[in-house]
Amino acid sequence: MSDHVKSMLAGIDRRQFVVATLASGAVAVRPRLGFAQGAEPYRIGVLLPSTGTGANYSERPIKGLPLVAAEINQRGGFLGKHPIELIFRDDQTKPDVGAREARSMILNDKVKTIIGSWSSAVAMAVQEIVHEYKVLLLAATSNSSKIVNENYTPYAFLLGPNSQMQSSATVVAVARMIKEKGWKNYVTIGLDYEWGRDAQKVFVSELGQVSPETRLMREFWAKLGETDFTSYITAIMAMKPDFVFGAIAGKDNETFLQQAKPAGFFQRVAYPGVFLPVTELMQQRKTLPRGIIGLGRAPFFALMEYPLTRKYIALYQAKFGKDDWPDDFACMYFDSLYALEQIVTRTGSIETEAVRKAMTGATIETCRGNLAFRDCNNQLDCPSYLGAVVDTPDYPFPIFDPKSLIVVQGRDCWTPKTCDEVRKIQKPRA
Amino acid sequence: MSMDFGSFLIQLLSGLSRGMMLFLLSAGLSLIFGVMNILNFAHATLWLLGGYITFSLYTALATQFEPSLLLLVPAVLGSTAILFVVGWLLERFLIRRMYGRELPEQLLLTFALILIIGDLIKMIWGVQNRRIVLPIEAWPVFDSFINPYLFVIIGSGAVVATFLWWFLARTRIGKIVRAAVYSRDMVSALGIRIPTIYAMVFALGVAIAGFSAGVFLPIIPIGLGLDMDLIIQCFAVVVIGGFGSIAGTLVASLLVGIVYSFSVLIWPDGALAVIFVILVAVLIWRPYGLFGTEMRS
Repeated sequence: MSDHVKSMLAGIDRRQFVVATLASGAVAVRPRLGFAQGAEPYRIGVLLPSTGTGANYSERPIKGLPLVAAEINQRGGFLGKHPIELIFRDDQTKPDVGAREARSMILNDKVKTIIGSWSSAVAMAVQEIVHEYKVLLLAATSNSSKIVNENYTPYAFLLGPNSQMQSSATVVAVARMIKEKGWKNYVTIGLDYEWGRDAQKVFVSELGQVSPETRLMREFWAKLGETDFTSYITAIMAMKPDFVFGAIAGKDNETFLQQAKPAGFFQRVAYPGVFLPVTELMQQRKTLPRGIIGLGRAPFFALMEYPLTRKYIALYQAKFGKDDWPDDFACMYFDSLYALEQIVTRTGSIETEAVRKAMTGATIETCRGNLAFRDCNNQLDCPSYLGAVVDTPDYPFPIFDPKSLIVVQGRDCWTPKTCDEVRKIQKPRA
Repeated sequence: MSMDFGSFLIQLLSGLSRGMMLFLLSAGLSLIFGVMNILNFAHATLWLLGGYITFSLYTALATQFEPSLLLLVPAVLGSTAILFVVGWLLERFLIRRMYGRELPEQLLLTFALILIIGDLIKMIWGVQNRRIVLPIEAWPVFDSFINPYLFVIIGSGAVVATFLWWFLARTRIGKIVRAAVYSRDMVSALGIRIPTIYAMVFALGVAIAGFSAGVFLPIIPIGLGLDMDLIIQCFAVVVIGGFGSIAGTLVASLLVGIVYSFSVLIWPDGALAVIFVILVAVLIWRPYGLFGTEMRS
């Protein structure tokens, strides 16, 4: 393991974690030493921020991926003979850094696949690099719809619901609540960058179709990395909307929620569809207002019926203890690695072109069940999960109420609806 | 848009709070530059370090006592004291070597400090966001609600502003500090140890950063990278107020905070632009800032 990887891993958590992760990382690379000479390792670049707004969501994927790699390597690696080597790089949640690190991993470390990143802006910068060098990109967290539509490259695959799918799913829940509660007007608040703009635009557009009488009073845009949402919170409350749609994620989401609750925001307005991955449910277990409608991408507690979810939890907790759980992001990163293994096994080859072709339109087993990639844009047909935040005796943190859980399947809210429409907006590439 | 009195007052309070946050962040930066002519680019990173130290102290105390706002007080004071020592040591062993050097060299050194302190934070606290959870409940006012913690921030800003005024205007050391701004050689000729004064000023500036980080912790989760978001705002405020002028920093902070707050309410799309329009206007009209002096520049 390079010093660079050690340095990044060392920074992820407390000393206890440093020891644990370095150990698991060592397991991940160990099989290389035991294989017959000539067995080509399969190098995978992992691009995640350990600084910046997205750092908070990187911890568990970075902790867990070496465990998954080690598990596969115990079976001999890909095809039983190509051990996985993970190469971690910190993109700092910055597109220029992400592009630089991606290029470096491809040219210097000879990675065949890159998994990452958190920021859609980073992912879109990396898309240009992977297309140029014909390397696979498995986007597990970044989810701007542009990744699979306007900025499409056949080398990039999106393993979580994209921003349009998430917003459409929120519309399903909000439309129900509009009918139940007689809501008439709303405001939106989003982070002023690629993902926030994209998610807000789709929500407003789709809600306009489903419920044209519901009026958008005002749009608020906060800069990425905003530290003080107080002025936004008081301004929204002064407008007295019936509900607020938020497109805020990462550390900014935590900041917003932390400042909204003591300001009486949730007593004044409804806030349905707030992005609440398991990370937030665990970290904000004491302060998160109960009853608000949260949205998740792969909440393990709603997926216990699937063998891979149970496997991830067992794998993760065996290393990090029963008090820690793989969050949505960890599950999607683990899915990325296992998806790659499944496709390589089916193809019988680690050659990138063969793997890419086999993955296009393929059905894979994931922690969210068996899901297929949409063959015209490589978007996984994965669901979004919405539910009211409630306490449970089963976990030391709140979860989405199983009784009110809404699962919106990807194909039910594709935007654009048909593959012909998708192809029209995809930019032509050489 | 029409606005009732209650909404106006709440928006004003949120603007005041934002302004005081900016002042608390920028006061140390302005003080250090004004007295020592050192542009401490690592100021917000030292602020971040203060936040992490406060978090650790509070967490340690919270294992012994019931978590409360009162428990935050010793944690914040402890962090302020530790940051004072950190500032003193930094001045003694690093910053002192920068006196009389060109601005790019100062920026390089303090930028290196950002990287070193950032890695140190990663090693000790990891990348997970840290925050202090206090049982704060909203106060009902004027048919709406307000976060009572805003008054803690506004009060803390007022205390620091008053302390700095008292220190600089009413104490002997403060008068020496002010004299050193205008004639370091003359002060030195009077037998006063300028290096000690400088070390104390730098330590005080860093300690204020540590204090403010602790005050913000119950409403702002801290994490790596936050310092880089904040340092730009600090510089904007200090440039508008006039580098080295504490009064200017206070006025500029309140101006920026209140204008921003009402811009969010009235014209949210242009809220950030309004601040930078003010910045550009000040730079054209008074390049040395609202309260800066040409002599100082």
